[in-house]
Amino acid sequence: MSFRVEATTDLGALHLDVDLDVPSGRCLAIAGPSGAGKSSALRVAAGLLQPMVGRVVSGREIWLDTARGIDRRPEERRCGYVFQDYALFPHHRAWQNVAYALRDRPRGSREPEARAWLARFGLEALADARPATLSGGERQRVALARALARRPDVLLLDEPLSALDTRTRARASRHLADVLRESQVPTILVTHDFAEAALLGNEVAIIDDGRVVQRGSASQLAAQPATAFVADFTGAVVLYGTATPDSDGTTLVTLAGGHRIRSTDTADGPVAATVFPWEITIEPTGHRTPRSTQNQLEAQVLSITTIGGRARLGLSGAASLTAEVSTTAISHLDLRPGTPVTATWKAAATRLVALDS
Amino acid sequence: MKQARWFPPLLFAALTTALCFLTLPIVAIFVDTGPGELLASLDDPAAVDALTLSLWTSALAVGIIVLVGTPAAFLLATRSFRGRDLLVTLIELPLVLPPAVAGIGLLAALGPNGLFGQALDDAGIRVVLTTTSVVLALTFVAAPFYLRQAESAFSALDRSWLDASRTLGAGEATTFARVAIPAALPGLIAGLALAWGRALGEFGATLMFAGSFRGVTQTVPLAIYERFATDFTAALGLSAVLVAVSGAILLTVKLATRASPARVLPR
Amino acid sequence: MTAAFRRPALVSLLLIAFSGSLAACGSDEERPEASSGTDEVLVSAAASLKGALTSYGSSFDGGEVKLSFAGSDELAAQICQGIKPDVFAAANTKLPDQLFKEGLVETPLRFTTNELVLAVPADSDAVTSVDDLATKVTIAVGADGVPVGEYTRTVLDRLPAAQSKSILGNVRSKEPDVGGIVGKLTQGAVDSGFVYRSDVEGAGGKLRAIELPDRLKPTVEYGVAIVKGSPNRAGGREFVDGLLEGAGAQALKENGFGRPSPAM
Repeated sequence: MSFRVEATTDLGALHLDVDLDVPSGRCLAIAGPSGAGKSSALRVAAGLLQPMVGRVVSGREIWLDTARGIDRRPEERRCGYVFQDYALFPHHRAWQNVAYALRDRPRGSREPEARAWLARFGLEALADARPATLSGGERQRVALARALARRPDVLLLDEPLSALDTRTRARASRHLADVLRESQVPTILVTHDFAEAALLGNEVAIIDDGRVVQRGSASQLAAQPATAFVADFTGAVVLYGTATPDSDGTTLVTLAGGHRIRSTDTADGPVAATVFPWEITIEPTGHRTPRSTQNQLEAQVLSITTIGGRARLGLSGAASLTAEVSTTAISHLDLRPGTPVTATWKAAATRLVALDS
Repeated sequence: MKQARWFPPLLFAALTTALCFLTLPIVAIFVDTGPGELLASLDDPAAVDALTLSLWTSALAVGIIVLVGTPAAFLLATRSFRGRDLLVTLIELPLVLPPAVAGIGLLAALGPNGLFGQALDDAGIRVVLTTTSVVLALTFVAAPFYLRQAESAFSALDRSWLDASRTLGAGEATTFARVAIPAALPGLIAGLALAWGRALGEFGATLMFAGSFRGVTQTVPLAIYERFATDFTAALGLSAVLVAVSGAILLTVKLATRASPARVLPR
Repeated sequence: MTAAFRRPALVSLLLIAFSGSLAACGSDEERPEASSGTDEVLVSAAASLKGALTSYGSSFDGGEVKLSFAGSDELAAQICQGIKPDVFAAANTKLPDQLFKEGLVETPLRFTTNELVLAVPADSDAVTSVDDLATKVTIAVGADGVPVGEYTRTVLDRLPAAQSKSILGNVRSKEPDVGGIVGKLTQGAVDSGFVYRSDVEGAGGKLRAIELPDRLKPTVEYGVAIVKGSPNRAGGREFVDGLLEGAGAQALKENGFGRPSPAM
């Protein structure tokens, strides 16, 4: 059951013009700066915002069609909406919040089903707590449980991780990724953080100034940004691996595939290693031994995308990398697709983010 | 930067002065007469009539105000439309009207010579000098107190709660009843207490519009006024009763609000 | 008390004591004794005297007249509570006599008479005589302690018990002063009311007076007295003199009041 939202409307100074479709079982992450219109797209989908021109189709059901005068009220659309601040009802306990989504169920089964949902999210002990007493991460999970308990046709997540502190965020994002994988409901997820979009979305659409600027897989956008904006927005390269502390105080990260890189951050266990494309230097292939403070990977140039004076290189090899170099470097090194190169970057430029399993 | 050392004492003095000024008349009521005399003055059946009348007319007025005012305040708070500010000012107008003006206004509208006087007369409805007119007068002067508090309480609601309720399958009416009202309850109850207190104490508009007749229109303030000239002790007694009743209402409301489970989430 | 509290608390106490002493100063001695120039003459008068005394006061040249109108009983109560106008003019003699007995005023003088009448809205014919009052009509009277209310009581007491009971059953409002009765009548809120003839004359044609039969008419005498210890005794004296003979008496006559009875 796919989902599609098209909307053209004016929101104050912003002109929104989007057309987003999500195949069944997939997650489309919409990333972009604040005020770009991302949340508005979600609100149109849910019926909380009426666009001048728009269409919202869920599977075979038409929820909105301005041309035909169809406009289903929000309560008639089966959406699971998670708001940025979670919007848990303060006067209801956690299970009552979830039970609110189950109002079409027979009376007696509402409480047990609500508690079961919370148990699925590891919150059965907190089912009777009031939202004010819960931590940010716990509230996020209750909100998610409540949205899923609705058995929605589409899941709409508005910055589901922004309200969390960095530590909780890592854990919560893994959990959310698992939930999304399991649920199979088409999902639109809004975020201002590209790394989050890359992690949670099967596809990423970048919205700027009310329009979709580019859409594709995260690595595609990073490697082949259509505009300077996309290039800037898709910041870091993300590599996954397992970290082990080394004797000299640095950390060794073993990537999938066996290659090792080093970081000056401390971590232990599963990590995401990030490095910015402009911190990666490209040199011709050679057998130069890397210094201990540097990481080095052999790779092959996949794509070269020039924007102004800069160029993004998509590299494939031990890991998918994106490097950013000047256009003069391109000609100087005679780079073209297929050229083997060595990508080098500092251990100090490699940041580690612990991933709780 | 020199510390302003005179500022904290000044604050202190301001609060103490205000406290003394506000509590002095009330304390004096209870001190001026002994409790025996106070209770004796309540033996007067006219006083009991006045008290009963005051209680049930004010309760009825407050009931009407809450019933009509809550949805009205919700609409004002959650929809923005052109002329909204003007509408809010109009509704709050009776707040700043002197009660005498309120009385004149009610007469001008519903009195026998008023705008609707002829229509009411034709329909055989007598409004002035009846208990109905007391309820009308109380409703008119007390309504803005509730409306303003309720509008403020609904405005303070996190709009995303209402949106969330809609996305979870609840229509506007259900959202209003199951989310908006419970979440705004402390503010609504505070408004109710204010309105009730105002209604209990209403004098000028009642006298002009409803007249003063024992058992029909003579509320406690009117009864106090009548006794003031002839039997000051009785006036003191009734005043003490009114203070006690109003105080009890305020206190009950405060306690009810404290016990309310609705807590706003920390941002 | 902790040290941090002591200083602010001390200062506040001093401030309150200071303002308290200011308040104490603002008592009887505040207004200066009348000597010369524009002195205020404070007059508390029955509501029915409004028209007459307002015009007398504006032409009075013995000082600036400040008038306060209300039910006579309320004004008397204020004087009992210690409020001191210079002159107290009541719609009966009972209240000034009472205050004199309590030593609050000097010897009261009768200065005018009035007539209690049954008033109806000028365009209404629901009530044409006292007998109509026992039928299905609405009446407004004065409250029990107010002179106009007491005079009305006297009238009703002179009627057969059954009739006076029916009349009382038609009373819809007991007003704290005669102005309230007039207001209800002009509004059309009641069919009839007991007011003074001077009120009907002062209502500018909106009311019509029905004279009471002689046997029912109460004697309505107005008494005036100088309040003891008031600030402007001389001015008050002059005001009262004018009421008895002079501009005041003239104003009373023009407003429908009668000459005072000869006996003193």
